Amino acid sequence: MKLTPWKTLAAGALLILLANAVALTGVYLNRSGEADSRLTLSQRELTMPWGWGMTGENSGMALALNWRVADASAGEYYGGGFGRGGGTPDWLDTERMAALGFDTAELSAGTAGRRRIERALPREVLLVLELAGPAWQQAQERARQNAARHEAARLANADSKEFAEKAKRAQEQLQREENLNSRLFAIDAGLDRAALRAKYPGRSRYLILKGTVRPRVATYEKKTRVTGYVSALAVAQINVPHALRPLLEPVLRTPRRMADGSGAHFEAVLAVGQRLEPWLESVLVTR
Amino acid sequence: METPIRSEAQRRADEIAIFQAELARLEAEGVLRLDPAQQQAVREHHAALLAGFAGRFDIDRDAQARQLSLGMRVASFLGALALAASVFFLFYQFWGHFDETAQVAILLGAALGSMALTVWIQTRDASGYFTKLAALVAFACFVLNLSMLGQIFNITPTDRALLPWAALAFLLAYACDLRLLLAAGICCVIAFVAARVGTWSGVYWLHTGERPENFFPVAALLFAVPALVAHRRLSGFAPIYRIFGLLCLLLPMLVLGHWGWGSYLAGYEGFETRTIEGGYELAGFVASALAIWVGARRQWSDTVNTGITFFVIFLYTKFFDWWWDVMPKYLFFLVLGLAAILILLVLKRLRRLGRNAGEGAP
Repeated sequence: MKLTPWKTLAAGALLILLANAVALTGVYLNRSGEADSRLTLSQRELTMPWGWGMTGENSGMALALNWRVADASAGEYYGGGFGRGGGTPDWLDTERMAALGFDTAELSAGTAGRRRIERALPREVLLVLELAGPAWQQAQERARQNAARHEAARLANADSKEFAEKAKRAQEQLQREENLNSRLFAIDAGLDRAALRAKYPGRSRYLILKGTVRPRVATYEKKTRVTGYVSALAVAQINVPHALRPLLEPVLRTPRRMADGSGAHFEAVLAVGQRLEPWLESVLVTR
Repeated sequence: METPIRSEAQRRADEIAIFQAELARLEAEGVLRLDPAQQQAVREHHAALLAGFAGRFDIDRDAQARQLSLGMRVASFLGALALAASVFFLFYQFWGHFDETAQVAILLGAALGSMALTVWIQTRDASGYFTKLAALVAFACFVLNLSMLGQIFNITPTDRALLPWAALAFLLAYACDLRLLLAAGICCVIAFVAARVGTWSGVYWLHTGERPENFFPVAALLFAVPALVAHRRLSGFAPIYRIFGLLCLLLPMLVLGHWGWGSYLAGYEGFETRTIEGGYELAGFVASALAIWVGARRQWSDTVNTGITFFVIFLYTKFFDWWWDVMPKYLFFLVLGLAAILILLVLKRLRRLGRNAGEGAP
């Protein structure tokens, strides 16, 4: 069949319109009905993405969803609030990894099995993110204990600059934990959305988002087990709608926020729809 | 008679020029002399054909025009890339100043408008160079359209977006006889099929490139396309399918020949990393030699050249692994040179065998 110019134009236009219709129908379906979750986040959870606007070539605005993982293996300075790189949480144990579809039985096959697990690639899962819940309180408590421990060490070694410096850093970390760091923690993962929602019914406290997890092999107290690394969210940046830009732009242009909590504050309502795709609903500048 | 497309017209014009040159030579050597009536008939027929082609397709009628055409092809290719990049940056520069409805309208309008512009230019551009520019801009606008919709509405990234992009690229390629758009469409198909193959084992689609073997199925698919679908009227299309097919086969083999850890086989009993690398090196030699053999038999110069290129790369990387550290440099490069001479001799013999087979054929 020979494609005449008119046939080419008609086929091309149809293809373009169809592709746009499919994409926009998806957006409509995502945002129709009651949102799957709706959380009020702050400048602690929504930050400018790294490098955004550095070149001045991009006039759009997006915010990165700043989430964390309670990663005990990261040491005393864990979870510095910039946990977008993911982590290895305690709850992502062998059973959970098996439930996510990873072949954890390979570990019993010795070194070869361990290598197979370590080189397995990430899988898409549903991540549950909790806002200002027990995981965040744990992080705060841990920072408090850390600061107290270093303060006690400083008092016991009054002449030591090293101990003084460590105590100062621990105190700063506590301040950051109380005023600056994200309160949004990845606390669970699964494949069944309904089961996860039944387990975490609070729609104003728990976000369910698509993300990726890859397996790891960890040795702790001479026991080797399969664990997982929460690596990324499928939608890591959230576009700021044009209508909300006048409110957010002045806030985001202010100098970097300080550990003592000074600087601009805002609250933003983040909704997640039927297809687990997020969007910003409203913004309120509080300071 | 079916209306020819530009590439067909150019091929016919080239054949006429060759025929005229050879006829003149035969006449000068006294081998053949057409009588005046025949000469006149042939001349008039060719003149009418060439005038028709030149009027409709702006074909190259002599060597000088052909040289200029090459320059124009390069200019239109670079211009098309630059314009496509310009469309991207133009939108990024200003999209934040519009609300979402206007953003969608601009994206959709740009995709539809550039598509219409391409078709309009195609009806007026006998050379095809400006059509190529417009077609690549139309493709870029459509890619921008869908990717920006994803960004504006925070849509989860999906490999399915590659399908409409591939469809538009193929439509423009086949409708406007554009090999550049065919290559763009093939790249989208490669990414889509490899992503799908990767997701069969549960891997998130964006990580599919970390297992180079995911590209083998699409290699077979691309190599089979010109065998299943005739591309007689579209010159250069079948070779592009074959070249991309071979790239999807030989490049992963080259990578796995040096990075066995990336293979699906790594970690299984009997498949040490070194064994996998050795296996893929051998497979690379065999596959590129097979490509040369098949290409020589079928007279696919594209397949022969791609096969030779990869055979030499496999050979030289192997030489480097074996001898770079242990040989004096003069000796190492001497070995490379001798290997090149050996390859030339083998190819020469292969060519002679092919010629003999051709002469022996009924």
